[in-house]
Amino acid sequence: MIDILLKDMWSPIVFIIVSLLTALVAYMFYRIGDEGYKRTRHKGEPFISGNMPPKDPRMIHVGGDNVFWGFTHALRKYLDPLVKAHTGIINDYVYWMVITMALVLIYVYLLI
Amino acid sequence: MSMDLVSASPAFVLGIPLLFAFLTPLANRVSKDLRDAMFVIGLLLTALFVGIMAYEVYTSGSWIYVFGSEESRPTQTASYFRIMFAADGFSALASITMVITALGAGLYSFAYMEGNTGMEKFYTLFFLTLAGVMGMVLTADLFNLFVWFEVTSIASCGLVAFQNYKVKSVEAALKYMFISVLGGLFFLVSIGLLYGEYGVLNFFLLADALTGGMIDKVALSIIIVVFAMKASSVPMHMWAPDVYAESPGSVTPFIAITSLGSLFVLTRIIFTLFRYSFGVAAVGHLLIILGLLSMFVGISMALKQSDVKRLIAYLSVSQIGYMLMAIGVAFATLDSADYSSFGAMALEGGLFHMINDGVYKALLFLSAASVVYATGIGDLNKLGGLAHKMPYTTMFFLLGGLSIAGVPPLSGFSSKLLIYQSVYLYHPILAIIALVVSIITFALIGKIFYSAFLGPDQGLTRGEVPRSMLVAMGILTVVVILFSLFPNYVVAEIVVPAVEGLGVVA
Repeated sequence: MIDILLKDMWSPIVFIIVSLLTALVAYMFYRIGDEGYKRTRHKGEPFISGNMPPKDPRMIHVGGDNVFWGFTHALRKYLDPLVKAHTGIINDYVYWMVITMALVLIYVYLLI
Repeated sequence: MSMDLVSASPAFVLGIPLLFAFLTPLANRVSKDLRDAMFVIGLLLTALFVGIMAYEVYTSGSWIYVFGSEESRPTQTASYFRIMFAADGFSALASITMVITALGAGLYSFAYMEGNTGMEKFYTLFFLTLAGVMGMVLTADLFNLFVWFEVTSIASCGLVAFQNYKVKSVEAALKYMFISVLGGLFFLVSIGLLYGEYGVLNFFLLADALTGGMIDKVALSIIIVVFAMKASSVPMHMWAPDVYAESPGSVTPFIAITSLGSLFVLTRIIFTLFRYSFGVAAVGHLLIILGLLSMFVGISMALKQSDVKRLIAYLSVSQIGYMLMAIGVAFATLDSADYSSFGAMALEGGLFHMINDGVYKALLFLSAASVVYATGIGDLNKLGGLAHKMPYTTMFFLLGGLSIAGVPPLSGFSSKLLIYQSVYLYHPILAIIALVVSIITFALIGKIFYSAFLGPDQGLTRGEVPRSMLVAMGILTVVVILFSLFPNYVVAEIVVPAVEGLGVVA
């Protein structure tokens, strides 16, 4: 018999019930918030370093390569060679397969 | 239902798609509606026979179907030299995974492929790919496996290049065909080596005959490399992003499922054939190394992608790593007491992750295809605000994305939890790497979601994708939700029989 079973570790139904209860508590806190809030001209608009939001909505959205830019930029010494190795050339795909096969053959010969 | 029909259900699982592969072009000569109806009927009938086979396996136990045998369920299989199909928990799990994805991709194709000419050929290729991958996971004969491997490769190459007016699709298909043919030839060499040495290719006869000699070692190495390559394991994964990104959006999950099929086959061969004649720890470690490389390189490359389908393709490569690692840990512990304490759990986790991965990855690829279909754009730098006009697609993507990232309570979390727990007991560093990769996966799903769906409406689309596409994604969503809500039932009723099917009950 397996010593540890999934049912001993994890029940999604319990998780969902606890999540709903947590959401209920959060909603109760929300309800006792300031009811005097009024939406004025600048409330709810994106804050872009104090500049006025651009009229073109496409200029507000920051997406694509800009998301996690700092993370990927910091890892560029690791990522750039990796990207460079993915040449898209079929010959290279075959090289990788043959090299892997050679390494696996050596591994299996030595260790098994 | 007659017992013969039930006993022959493995043959029908394969025979139905083969039959309909040839019927749909004939139906096309009558009318397009009949052709489309035949496509749906073929898919549903295949699903029906998968259901019959799986139900019989789960209620009455495994059996071997021997083609041409007078007995419906022969007990002395060793006396047969014919083609055999193994109807056991493992092939049931694999077939269920394949058929759910095929249903999703097939229904999605109706609207997605509308406007393309030669749809009867598309349906033929679709059915041939389905038949090929079903044959791969059902067969218990190495040469027969080679035949289905080739059928799958050739038919799926045709699917990738179906929109041949797109230069990149043709290029991707060419790469896929080249690497598949090469892999097939290597596999044929390994079959030749084993047949020359032992004179048999049947899994059961071969398992008894193997001695662990030099020929066996060479054959094992080739088989591992070929099927790891087809499963898109690093460092032989490079074809996968090209193929996944450039194939027609509706068939991308179906192409991805052929990779998963190769992983099923690799698992079957290792556990059935090479279990008794090799040092299991060394083979297990080899799989763990391939798994770690796949996880790490896959997720690293995903960080640099800005094309939505290509990014998901690299996430898919990293997910293959989880399964390889789990199977490797299970195999490495097979000869020790560790197997019952955590090795079997790793195998359960790996197999559960396979069926989960097949479904949520299909959902992700289809929702990404919906984005491209609706906007004509796949570049995340140019997308944004789609949630305003495509609320259903947004929801489907989010569900698939959170599941692949292993966020509770979704199905991906359940299978990953089993993997984390078991590989941690084998070596903590494996679990740490797996967790880090999951966190980055979550971040990258956030990147796609934020870039494509959030933000102000940019007027990139006029509305949702057609209803049939939503229905197809909805079916996959329902499966993801069911697997998420009842993981213990899935493990007990589908995954544990699959572990037993491999003959490694803890």
